[in-house]
Amino acid sequence: MIVAKRKPLNEIAEMVAPYKRVSVIGCRSCVAICLAGGEKEVKMLVSALKVKNKKEGRDQEFEALVVERQCEKEWVKEVEDKVLGSDITLSMACSLGAQTIGDMYPSHVTFPGLNTGIFGVPEEQGVWSEKCVGCGNCIIHTTGGICPISRCAKSMLNGPCGGSANRKCEVNLDTDCAWSAIYDRLKIQNRLELIEKVTPAKDWSTSHAGGRRTYVREDAKLTPHQKKGKEAIQ
Amino acid sequence: MKAASIQVILCKCCTELPAVLNIERLRKLAEESCNVVSVMMVDAICDGKGLPAVVNNAKEAEVDRAVILACHKKDIDPALFKAYRRAGINEFMIEIVNIREEALLPHASEPERAQLKAETMLAASLARARLLAPLEKQTEAMKTKNVVIIGAGASGQAAAHAAAKTGAHTILIEKTGKSLKAPGIVMPHSQVVGAKGYGGNYQLTIKAGDKIENLDAAAVVIATGGGWTQLKGPLAKAVKDAMPLYKLHEHLQAGSVPKGPVVFVDTPDPTGKTMKVQDYAWDDTLETALQLKRKARETQVFVIFQEMRAFGLSELAYKEAADLGIKFVRYDKSAVPKIDPKEPTNLIVKDFAQGDVLSIKIGTLVFSSIPANQDNQAIADALRIPMSVDGGVRRGSIQRWPVTTPRPGIFVCGSALFPKSNEVAKAEGEAAGSMAGEFVAKGEIEFGGSVAQVTQEKCSACLTCIRTCPYEAPFIGTASKAEIKEQLCQGCGMCVGICPSKAIELHHYTDDQIMAQARELLGGDF
Repeated sequence: MIVAKRKPLNEIAEMVAPYKRVSVIGCRSCVAICLAGGEKEVKMLVSALKVKNKKEGRDQEFEALVVERQCEKEWVKEVEDKVLGSDITLSMACSLGAQTIGDMYPSHVTFPGLNTGIFGVPEEQGVWSEKCVGCGNCIIHTTGGICPISRCAKSMLNGPCGGSANRKCEVNLDTDCAWSAIYDRLKIQNRLELIEKVTPAKDWSTSHAGGRRTYVREDAKLTPHQKKGKEAIQ
Repeated sequence: MKAASIQVILCKCCTELPAVLNIERLRKLAEESCNVVSVMMVDAICDGKGLPAVVNNAKEAEVDRAVILACHKKDIDPALFKAYRRAGINEFMIEIVNIREEALLPHASEPERAQLKAETMLAASLARARLLAPLEKQTEAMKTKNVVIIGAGASGQAAAHAAAKTGAHTILIEKTGKSLKAPGIVMPHSQVVGAKGYGGNYQLTIKAGDKIENLDAAAVVIATGGGWTQLKGPLAKAVKDAMPLYKLHEHLQAGSVPKGPVVFVDTPDPTGKTMKVQDYAWDDTLETALQLKRKARETQVFVIFQEMRAFGLSELAYKEAADLGIKFVRYDKSAVPKIDPKEPTNLIVKDFAQGDVLSIKIGTLVFSSIPANQDNQAIADALRIPMSVDGGVRRGSIQRWPVTTPRPGIFVCGSALFPKSNEVAKAEGEAAGSMAGEFVAKGEIEFGGSVAQVTQEKCSACLTCIRTCPYEAPFIGTASKAEIKEQLCQGCGMCVGICPSKAIELHHYTDDQIMAQARELLGGDF
């Protein structure tokens, strides 16, 4: 899932300070699950902002809202009145949610309340670790199911490097060496021969470097005819 | 919905409340508050005598809820709830406010502040009371009458006898192979390794020899006792003739007397600085020292201790000990005994009472050595009950329920709590056994009431509640959303607090109820 972290209270308070009516909108999907922007976090942030304002003598109105998935227009539509009825929207979803609202209502100001970080998995309650960077060309079938692009500091395709010692990474001694983990995994799978195979340079054209990527599934798209029909019903 | 009608009871705590508070002002405030239809003063609600009048007043005023300003005494709750039930008022519609300990006592010297706090607390409780909702508890039949007793020592056997007297089926589980007579079934070489379920319907996993067996139990008594340790620290090297207390006991029984002077210490390492519960010298020490002195009058006997406890009539032994010439030396943990550098068989002790520094020659060193049982942690983990810092099992309440644990249907006694003498362990065993018997005799368990509930439409199935709950009450149900097994829910509110989607609510402690109270206490909106 997408894992995010709330921005510090002072930063948020400063961002929204010039505006009178603030709508704070959370999301019930990834950011709720990673304890960053669900209904609870939204309500707690609103309470904290109210207390802060009271202490500092500022007068603002806050409305706490939450939608099922903020990255989808249909869900955002449900709170459209509240969004447009406020002077500013603080999105407590990932950046996708904030940008969805921003794209839907371009003249309305929408700010991010979270810092969107990683594609991560919960290792234990309260701990998430990055395991994918979305390079668009998955190779983990050759690396024992462990992604060296996200888990190796150098994103090496042939590892480990000389900086790997005692299963740790030289960049940060608290971080496990991805290639050491790959070696261990291949060993228990009896596929160690793969570690000696030289992997040539990866095709990075599928990755982020080429600007915004768009995924299209032609067969799922509505035909112009279908679109017309839908519009007629609406 | 019908508007709330509240009865306010002001308990005077005999004369304590009027001595500090302006009780008329409190009464007036209550009378003028929204939804309050009746205000009544009682002398002391805890003696129970005033209850009929209180309930009659509730009936006459046709109230549907009550706010009682009193003290912390929870003992009265069952009687209070029962009385109110007769007036048709559900126990969850009664709000008890502890103004005695929270307003009166801390501010006894500042009556105005005490008054302000009492008035604020009254207003907050009224705000909460307006939002209370009645809750019904449910019942479920127990599948078995089994009381499983873990440990067949002094406390465990006493528990088995006591539980059997109540008609429960006792099953005594003992780690060692010791043969013993006890009512019901005795399982030697057995250990509890896991437990599922809840009070009244536990399913225990027992390791009996090499076999794993399942056993249904309505109640469990933990009577794992204490273990034995060896002498530790520098004394262990310096002193050759050292023995634990129970060994001396055996020697005396066999008629042999150890080499004098005999020095009793209260811990396996009196030179260590840590003061733990097991460092008390119990009446066992006293009794054994006396037996020795009676047998061998000419042997010098010293008892060196930080703290000593003798129960009940055992205190009389102090006098006989003093008459016979047993020397008691109390030391403080800031000046623990040391080995004499010149004379390694001598112990230097600073007498806390006199201030004298004594050098005591050790002929034989006798030490108390009952630490908490090493198995306690594993058993507590299996039964999901908390431990105390000393490695004993934590009890429900030291004063009110000394042999219960925080989990219903699990009782604890003897040295499993902390080391103690045989007599006390037996008495506790009897108490725990009879309480387990009483619990089982009810035949059904009550659950529900103030428990957590999931609003499924809000649930993101994020598993946070499942990862957080210490009692394994939440689970993902057939609708792929979280649900709470009410029988397992202890109403602790951990899942409610952490749920990122605010999908879980704790009955009787809802956000609305808590926030209404907080707004009154702190003022304003937040």
